[in-house]
Amino acid sequence: MSRFEIYSPEGLRVDGRRWNELRSFNCSINTHPNAADGSSYLEQGNNKIITLVTGPQEPASRSQVNTKQASLSVTINLTKFAKMERSKSSHKNERRTLEWQTSLVRTFEKNLMLHLYPRTSIDVQVHVLQLDGGILGAMLNGITLALIDAGIAMYDFVSGVSVGLYDTTPLLDLNSLEENAMSSVTIGTVGKSEKLSLLLVEDKVPLDRLESVMAIGIAGTHRIRDLMDKELRKHGKTRVENLTN
Amino acid sequence: MSGAISVTKRKEFWSNDLLEGDEYESDLGSDEEHDVEMSGAHDSNSGVDHQDGSIVTPGELITDDPIWMKGHGTYFLENKTYSSVVGTVSRVNRLLSVLPLKSRYIPETGDHIVGRITDVGNRRWKVDIGAKQYAVLMLGSVNLPGGVLRRKSETDELQMRNFLKEGDLLNAEVQSLFQDGSASLHTRSLKYGKLRNGTFVKVPSSLIVRSKNHTHNLPGNITVILGVNGFIWIRKSSKMDLSNSTTATGSGQSDHLPGSKNAMSVSITRLEEESSWEIYSDKNDTVTVSVRQTITRYANVIKALAHCELGITEPRIISAYEASMAYGNVGQLIESETMESLGQDVLNSEKMRGAA
Amino acid sequence: MGLSITEKSFLFDSLTLDPPLRTDGRGSHQFRPIEVSTDFLPNSNGSSHVILSGGSECIVSVKTKVVDHTVESELLVTDVDIQGHRDDSPLVTSMSSLISKLLKQTIDQKKLMLTKRYSFKLYIDVLVLASKSYPVSMISFAIFSALKNTWLPKLISSDDDLEVEELPTFHDYDMVKLDADAPLLFTFAIVGDSVLVDPSFEESLVSNNGLLITWYKDRATSPIRSVGLNNDNVKGFSQHHLEEAIKLIHKYAPDVERALVSSD
Repeated sequence: MSRFEIYSPEGLRVDGRRWNELRSFNCSINTHPNAADGSSYLEQGNNKIITLVTGPQEPASRSQVNTKQASLSVTINLTKFAKMERSKSSHKNERRTLEWQTSLVRTFEKNLMLHLYPRTSIDVQVHVLQLDGGILGAMLNGITLALIDAGIAMYDFVSGVSVGLYDTTPLLDLNSLEENAMSSVTIGTVGKSEKLSLLLVEDKVPLDRLESVMAIGIAGTHRIRDLMDKELRKHGKTRVENLTN
Repeated sequence: MSGAISVTKRKEFWSNDLLEGDEYESDLGSDEEHDVEMSGAHDSNSGVDHQDGSIVTPGELITDDPIWMKGHGTYFLENKTYSSVVGTVSRVNRLLSVLPLKSRYIPETGDHIVGRITDVGNRRWKVDIGAKQYAVLMLGSVNLPGGVLRRKSETDELQMRNFLKEGDLLNAEVQSLFQDGSASLHTRSLKYGKLRNGTFVKVPSSLIVRSKNHTHNLPGNITVILGVNGFIWIRKSSKMDLSNSTTATGSGQSDHLPGSKNAMSVSITRLEEESSWEIYSDKNDTVTVSVRQTITRYANVIKALAHCELGITEPRIISAYEASMAYGNVGQLIESETMESLGQDVLNSEKMRGAA
Repeated sequence: MGLSITEKSFLFDSLTLDPPLRTDGRGSHQFRPIEVSTDFLPNSNGSSHVILSGGSECIVSVKTKVVDHTVESELLVTDVDIQGHRDDSPLVTSMSSLISKLLKQTIDQKKLMLTKRYSFKLYIDVLVLASKSYPVSMISFAIFSALKNTWLPKLISSDDDLEVEELPTFHDYDMVKLDADAPLLFTFAIVGDSVLVDPSFEESLVSNNGLLITWYKDRATSPIRSVGLNNDNVKGFSQHHLEEAIKLIHKYAPDVERALVSSD
């Protein structure tokens, strides 16, 4: 078997991108107006995810009532058919899924103005229909869009992307082939700032390379933020035009 | 099409136009420069104040002039005011706020709403009004059989379910707001109370514009209550509806349409209603088939307006209703193509009127 | 959330008129409009996405794997996931067992045989994202569309491998359409004397009973069963209701099938 060339001497990656190119990025909001308060559909490369946000609403049980702020929950449904090979388990109680859920809750707890919604709950459901590397970053983007669609107040966008390190070259927005071949880092950036709200380093990355990895990652998230912003404005414009005559 | 079902094929997974750019749009530019060029309005030079009505997104600077008071949908950081939602900028006096494009209903004092009872508790009902929290209706805030001046007794507490129970729909006014933003309701007027003789439709609350009057008498002997919270009740007009007819299209401030004799009899029924159990009755009046059909048509017309994300107002409902007459079969109105063409008809007729 | 007593009685009175007047004005044989898309999951061999006009929504993926059927006799695996319901809840387990049993009875497993030893094994995964009314009909429509649009790799090695010990090999990119016929399931609400196809959530709440009828290869077939669409006003139904429902199916199911196929 011939091995894939992860990064050719000419500077091309397996799918023909250069080191600093994002995969194709498509998103839309308000895709499920009847099923949730806020919703989004997002394609980042071959990742396809649906995000539904319900709330703020009356908590289902008394134990969830927090008199100071809304309680936020994130549920990830990594479908059995999301990967190339169908998986037997539903991934629902896997450690990795639970870890992702926790870190997503932590990230958005800080970025949402939850104190505006005491005694309520906000529930986020992420359905991963297809998985192709860098899923945590894609979920950050999908959740940001769905929360904005729901009209829940937040300080700024959170946008996410993964960056790998191939030898000494950082590669932006890894697909699953690349993700399996190298160490990678997922970052979540707040708006157009350099502030990170999420950093996940799952493998070893040389410390002296981390800076260049983060720099391209931050630039990538800013680009994604702008693409999401564009979609929101486009949607907003038609909405405003229809509402007033 | 005579078929039993209409199946539409979607081109993309979601029928949303893809971003027009090609893949190279995601290129981050030359190797040495990581900064991204973007033509969006957002990263244009700051300091430019956003005009009233312009669209902003979360984290966007609205003004660095500290003179503004910050309202809903904004936050204040180092003398600058930023947006916290997607919406339009609103400046009223010194108050700067952003009205979200879409959110759960946010109650305000004086709003006329429609709600559904979810809980019957200690001297109060909990009411789902589509807001982030249930509203409260105190036993003391409703009219009880026996007249306004009747005192509430302990037996009233024990028989609260005889007045209103889980699932019941009512219209009410937001009397006041609690500190956490949840609403307290009252029904101490004859135009409020349990809803009968009709059907319920729910639309996003952002489509209902607050106005002086939310009860409208429509052609075909129908009355619609457009709750500010997006809950809508369509019913056969009652005598009281007709006597209260002071809608924009109605006869204005002049006497009641049917003549003063009718008005007399109405005021007597009103007295009766006030004191009887009838206001909490679970029985519908007789509603003829043709009125039922008209109600269904109005319900479909309202759903069509909501489908097109058009603001729902009395003139638009009437205009869409008239346009819908082109479709003899009410069942045709549920096809998305038909709904879109109805919405277009409404917009066109508005343009015509504007031009005239 | 439930309806109020006046809403229920108003609706019941409308539905029991002759002809019935439904909440959205549909005829008793008329379905809610649906939107279908297929082939949107490149990682799956077949996929479909069905949205009902009220917002109920369902996604189906068909994936395949080559197995030795002399060892593994189970060639069809069906899994149903309904959002908001636990995997062990009565709704999910009953739906799951109903559909997997039905597919095993109807799908021609010979079509999955590759060679004398090897077969395709199909994994049919159903994800119900939102559902207001009883979702079985929507699920069957989605499975039908997905299976109509399922492509399998083309076998290029010999189909007789009993003698030679070799694994099947496939063409690099040519695919063969599976073209399996899946059954369609129809639900009916019986309200008074009216028999209504594809009941909405509100109509289900006031119905006296429900019927589930299978349509496969141009005829109504088993399983036919009664389903309780609500817990409050369940009453018995008479034989002519069943006859009426079967009559409606024979008249309109071919339309539905044609519409689903032609939407490709």
